[in-house]
Amino acid sequence: MPLNEWIGLLFILAAAPFFLAGSVGLLRFPDLYCRLHALTKADNIGLGLLILGLMIQSLSLADFLKLLLIWLLVLLAGSTAAHLVARSALRQGRKPWERR
Amino acid sequence: MRRGKREISIFSGKGLYGALVRLVAFSLLWAVLTQGGGGWIIGVPAVVLATFLSLGLHAPISWRWRPMGVLRFIPYFLWQSLRGGIDVSRRALHPKLPIDPAVVHHTLLLPPGPSQVFFANTINLLPGTLSADLHEGHLTIHMLDAGLEYVMELKRVEERVADLFGVELKRR
Repeated sequence: MPLNEWIGLLFILAAAPFFLAGSVGLLRFPDLYCRLHALTKADNIGLGLLILGLMIQSLSLADFLKLLLIWLLVLLAGSTAAHLVARSALRQGRKPWERR
Repeated sequence: MRRGKREISIFSGKGLYGALVRLVAFSLLWAVLTQGGGGWIIGVPAVVLATFLSLGLHAPISWRWRPMGVLRFIPYFLWQSLRGGIDVSRRALHPKLPIDPAVVHHTLLLPPGPSQVFFANTINLLPGTLSADLHEGHLTIHMLDAGLEYVMELKRVEERVADLFGVELKRR
């Protein structure tokens, strides 16, 4: 396997723990708001590393642009969706969990 | 809506120009996603439909990013969102679940318009902040840890976004 594929693989492997942590946060965090933190932030970095790894493996400009675009679109969609879910919950009067 | 002076440009009020901008943008999107490989029999109707749909959902607005602002913003954003991902992952995996959430209110210094929306979206990816409501320049933020130094941090992000959009921050 060429060197760039190995380096790409490292990034892809580095991405996996973030997806895992995002899912663990989704299960362990106490309320909707905290879970949104886990999903948006951890998955954003997970996907970013995954995409970086794939870019390094492919080394083609067309793939590069497409992957970059995918990351940006997911970032925008994820952040916007998190905001809208949180807003809707807040306006419905859902009280955020607090540590006592 | 009140708008900053930079936002009034050839874009505003010219429906045709706005439609053309989106048509070109969606065509480019298709070209990149298909890697220039064609499929325009489906692509052309999809692009036209997307243009109409997006104009129906949101009237053309004008905004621009300053090229130097973009160059300064990208590394800052990447670093901060990496911090955000690591921070929340650590908290999620830690046996004691070290979180202490709180809702805080932040009055934006950015002018109304796209820069405020961009700011609200940006802080969702930064450590510990989630924008939960944006209403007339007041942002409701859910903090994952109330102990974080968020006031200065938010101010810094606002400065970065103002630099990106080339707008002035209001003075408190």
